[in-house]
Amino acid sequence: MPATAIANSGSNNGLFGNTAGLSTLITVTVLALAWLAGFASRLFAVIRFESIIHEFDPWFNYRSTAYMVQHGFYNFLNWFDERAWYPLGRIVGGTVYPGLMITSGTIHWILHTLNIPVHIRDICVFLAPVFSGLTAIATFLLTSELWSRGAGLFAACFIAVVPGYSSRSVAGSYDNEGIAIFALQFTYYLWLKSVKSVFALLMAIGALKYLHSLSPKGQFKQLLIVGGITAAGAVFVAVVLLTYMGVIAPWSGRFYSLWDTGYAKIHIPIIASVSEHQPTTWSSFFFDLHVLVCTFPVGLWYCIKNINDERVFVALYALSAVYFAGVMVRLMLTLTPVVCVLAGIAFSIILDLFLREEDLGITNSNGSDENAAGKNLYDKAGKVRKRSHELTPQGGDTSGLGMNVRSGTLIGFMILLMLFVVHCTWATSNAYSSPSIVLASYGNDGSRKILDDFREAYGWLSKNTADDARIMSWWDYGYQIAGMGNRTTLVDNNTWNNSHIALVGKAMASNESAAYDIMSALDVDYVLVIFGGAIGYSGDDINKFIWMVRIAEGEHPKDIHEADYFTERGEYRIDSEASKTMLNCLMYKLSYYRYDSGGSPPGYDRTRGALPGNRGFKLTYLEEAYTTEHWLVRIYRVKKRDEFNRPRLPVAKRTISTSNMISKKSSKRRKGTLKNKPTIVKGKKVSRLE
Amino acid sequence: MENKEDRGYALTFKLADDSNLVLSKYGEYLYKNLIIFAPSVLEFGGQVDTEAISKFVDNGGNLLVAANSAAGDVYREIASECGFEMDEESAAVIDHFNYDASDDGEHTKIVVSPKNLINAPTIVGSHNTQPILFEGTGLILYKDNSLVLPILTADSTAYSYNPKSQVKEYPHAVGRKTVLIAALQARNNARIVFSGSLYFFSDEAFDSPVSKVHGDKMRADLSGNKALAMHLSEWAFGERGRLRVSRVEHRRDGETATTNTYTIMDNVIYTIEIEELKEGKWQPFVAKDVQLEFVRIDPFIRTTLIHKTNGVYEAKFKIPDVWGVYKFKVDYDRIGYTRLYHSTQVSVRPLQHTQYERFIPSAYPYYVSAFSMMIGVFLFSFVFLYYKEEAPKSKGD
Repeated sequence: MPATAIANSGSNNGLFGNTAGLSTLITVTVLALAWLAGFASRLFAVIRFESIIHEFDPWFNYRSTAYMVQHGFYNFLNWFDERAWYPLGRIVGGTVYPGLMITSGTIHWILHTLNIPVHIRDICVFLAPVFSGLTAIATFLLTSELWSRGAGLFAACFIAVVPGYSSRSVAGSYDNEGIAIFALQFTYYLWLKSVKSVFALLMAIGALKYLHSLSPKGQFKQLLIVGGITAAGAVFVAVVLLTYMGVIAPWSGRFYSLWDTGYAKIHIPIIASVSEHQPTTWSSFFFDLHVLVCTFPVGLWYCIKNINDERVFVALYALSAVYFAGVMVRLMLTLTPVVCVLAGIAFSIILDLFLREEDLGITNSNGSDENAAGKNLYDKAGKVRKRSHELTPQGGDTSGLGMNVRSGTLIGFMILLMLFVVHCTWATSNAYSSPSIVLASYGNDGSRKILDDFREAYGWLSKNTADDARIMSWWDYGYQIAGMGNRTTLVDNNTWNNSHIALVGKAMASNESAAYDIMSALDVDYVLVIFGGAIGYSGDDINKFIWMVRIAEGEHPKDIHEADYFTERGEYRIDSEASKTMLNCLMYKLSYYRYDSGGSPPGYDRTRGALPGNRGFKLTYLEEAYTTEHWLVRIYRVKKRDEFNRPRLPVAKRTISTSNMISKKSSKRRKGTLKNKPTIVKGKKVSRLE
Repeated sequence: MENKEDRGYALTFKLADDSNLVLSKYGEYLYKNLIIFAPSVLEFGGQVDTEAISKFVDNGGNLLVAANSAAGDVYREIASECGFEMDEESAAVIDHFNYDASDDGEHTKIVVSPKNLINAPTIVGSHNTQPILFEGTGLILYKDNSLVLPILTADSTAYSYNPKSQVKEYPHAVGRKTVLIAALQARNNARIVFSGSLYFFSDEAFDSPVSKVHGDKMRADLSGNKALAMHLSEWAFGERGRLRVSRVEHRRDGETATTNTYTIMDNVIYTIEIEELKEGKWQPFVAKDVQLEFVRIDPFIRTTLIHKTNGVYEAKFKIPDVWGVYKFKVDYDRIGYTRLYHSTQVSVRPLQHTQYERFIPSAYPYYVSAFSMMIGVFLFSFVFLYYKEEAPKSKGD
C-alpha cells in the first residue's frame, strides 16, 4: 500500500495541478485505501476469535435478520415473538427498526441471486466494517462540501480508523450504529448539497431523509425562520406545559436524562444501570478521539470565522453533539463524525499554511511518508493535492515563515498523525475487539487462553432442555439466550417493560422461598446466573446485583429495600460482614452454591477479593443443572411443585420429639426390631414368670 | 383382609422385622400399595425404613398405616414425613363422655359419631350412619398444611394423653383437634391413610356392637368400622376418586383444526373430556363445577365449563384484547379426587398488518397532516427552484 501511495504522489509531481483526472485518481485511491484500512482494522475480532456475532443487541439483530431471511419480509413485519418476554411476548415486527435487517437481507438476496451462497451470519458480521468504508466516503463528500477536498480526505481517513466509531463497528458488532453513521453522514451531505445546488433530485432526496431545519436563502429564510420559530415555539411551550402539568409524558426516560443527568438515577434505575448511559469521563474523550479532540475546536473556529450556510449547520451539529456526548458515553458515537470532519478541516488548514511553497511541500510530504506508517500516507497524499486547489482563501501573513519552522511543524504534525494511527489501531484491537461472549485471558508468558463459557452454557441449554423451557436470567443475557440457546426468556435487552424486569429483579433479590413463588408464577424452568468469582470476571451478576435490587425496589418498595443489602456502614460486600438479606438472597445463593474454586482458600471470590460469608448451604427449591468450566455461567433447574410431594414436617417444627434411634441393623443382620417380641432362646426353657 | 383379595389384589404378608423386607428390586417397585399394621415395630427389617417408605410414596405408592398408643418412633417418623404428627408414645385418645360399654375403665375405647367424619363421600362413602369404635393414639394436624385431610376427628370432650398418668402438661391434642384418622393425597396423587388405631381395623371392632355409656347413649348392633374401613382402603388404594383427562381440544370458532396461535379478540372453543375410574373402568365424569382459566400470569378469563355429553366439557369465550403467551388451564382440585390439572400453552398475537381497518375515522387528522405535508414539500421545492432563478441578486449573501 505505501508503495502505491508513493508512486501516485511521485508520478504526479510533474503533472501536478494540471490534470483534474489525476487529482480524481488520487482521491479515489486514498478513499479506497481508507476503506481498506478501516475494514482491516475492524477485523481484529474475527482474526483473534472467529466470525461470530458480538455482545448482546447484535444477537437480537442477527436473530431477527435470520428470521426475516428465512420467513420473508411480511412474516417478519408480523412477527410476534412468543419466546421473548414470557409470558408477555414481544411484537418484534412493530417494535424494531428494520433498516438494519432490510439492509443485510437485501445484500443476502443480491448475493444469492448472483449464486454466491453466503451465510447470513457472515453478512451480518461483516456489514459494519463494509459500511465503515461507505461512511468514510460519505464523510469525504460532506467535508468537501463544507471546506475542501483535501479536508475531506483527511476526514475520511480519520473516520475510517477513529476508535470512537470503530468501537461500534468492528466485525461482528452487528448493530444499528454500524450503518446509522453512514446514513447520518450521507444525509447531511445530501442536505448540504441540496441547500447549495439547484438540483431538484438531490433536493428531493435530501427532503425525504431527515429534514430538521431549513436554511434557504434570501427572503425565504426570514419567512421560514419567523414562521418556523413561531410554530415550533408554540408547540414547544405547549408540550413543555403539558408535560410539566403531568398531562402527557411524551418522552422516554432516556430523553429526560439527556437534560437532567440525575434524572435516570432517581426515577428510572434501569436506564442508569446501563454502563453506556453513564456520563462521559474526560479520559474517554481522549481515548476515543485522541488528537482529534484537540484539533477539532480549531476546525470549528475556522468554520465560524468563515461562516456560510453549510458551516452554520456543522457548527450547530458540533456544539450539540459535544453536549450530548458529555451526558452519555453512548452518544460519543454521534460526536465522532463531526469531530472527524472538523479535525480534517483543521489539519487541512494547518498543512495549507505550512506547505505554502509548492516545491517544499512535496519534498516534505514525501519525507514524512517514510517515517509515518500506514494511514498517514493517504492523509499526506490528500493534503498534497488539496493545497494546489485551495491556494487563496487563507490569510497571506504566514508566507514569511522560515524553512525550519515549517519543516519542524510539519514533522511534528506527522508524528501526531502517526501517533494517532498507532493509538487507533491499539484501541480498536485491545478495547473494542472483544466479542464479550468469548473471553480471552493471557498468561504470564503471553499465551492466550480462550474462555468459552458462555457458548458452552448456551449450547448446553439448547441441547439439554425442553424446547419450550423458560429461562430466567438478568436481562443482559436475554438476547444471547434467545439467539444462541434458542430458548424462551423472561426479560431481554429490549427493556420495554420495566415492571416485568423488576419482577425478575425481585425474584433474584428475595430469599429462596419467596423467589420460588415468583418463579412458579412465571413458569420458570431454569435460572441462569453469571458468576465471575472463579476467574475474576468483573461483569458478573453479583456486581450488577445492586441494580437489580434498585429496579425491584422501584416497583416493589414494600418488599425490597436497597439498604438491606448493604452492611451497616453502607458497604456492598459479600463476605461474612454482609447483611443477612444479602447472604440469603437467591442471587447470592445461586452464585456461591457449592463454590469451592477460585483461589488459595477454596471458595475465594477473586472478583470481590473476599471469602463468601455464606457457604455450605443447601438449596431447597432449585437444583444445580449445569456449571461451565470456569464457573462463569451457572444454570439451575427450578423444581416443580410435585417434587415437593409430601408436606414433610422438618424436625425443627415437630412438637413431639422422637428419640434418635441408632439402627441395630448391620450389613449382615438385616432383621428389624420389634417391641416386646417374645424371644426364643435355643437350648433353654422359655423363661417363666416367677 | 380377605375382602382385599376379593377385590382382586395379590397380597403379600411379611413380618415387620423380616430381614428380607424389600419394597423395590432393581429400581422397580414390587408393590403398588403398602399396608403397615405393625405398631410394635421399632425398626423395620431388611431394606425398609422411613426413607424407603417415603420414597415409595414419592414414586406413587399408596400407604395404609395403623398405629396404636404403643407405637414406636418409626411411626412418628412416617407421620412427620407425611406432614402430621402422632402423639407421644403410650398416649391414647381419652374421652370420658363418649366411651364404649366394653371399655376397661381407662375410657380409651371411644365411640365416635359418624358426624365427625370428613364430608367427602369419595373417601368415606355416603352411608355412614353407625357409630365408630376407636382405640388408639391421636394425630396432630397443622392448619397450614392443606394437603392433609382429617378423616375422622374426636369429639370435643376428647384429649390425647397417657391414660396411666396424671395430666400434668397441656395435652398435645384436645377436643376436635384430636384427629383419629388422617389422610394425605400427595402432589403426585399417592394416597396415605394413617389411622391412630389398629383396633379400628380389627375384626373385633368390625363385629362388635356399640353402646355408649354417657350422653345420647348411642347404640348400634354393629359398629360402622367395617364400612368405613372398606371405603377408606378403597380410596387409599386408588379404586375411587381418580380422574383423568382423556382429550383436550381448542380451536377458533368456526374452524375444525386446532391451532397454537390465536389472534386477539378471536372466539375460542375449548373442549376437555374428563373420565373417572369407577368399578375398574374409566367412565365419563359428571360435575357442574369444572372451571377453565385463561391465564397469562393472572387469569384473564375464568369460566365454568359446561357439561355436554359423556364427560365432555366445553367453554366458548372471546380472547381478551391483550397479546401474550397464555395457558388454557383446568385445575380441578376437590377433596377425595385426584388433582386434575391440565394446561395448554398458546400464544395470542396482535393483528397482522393486513387485519387492521384501512381507514379509521379518528385517523383522518393524521392522513390530512401527512398528505398536506407532502403537498407542501412539493410546492415548496417547486417554488424554491423557480424563485431562485428570478432573484439572482440576493445571492451575494
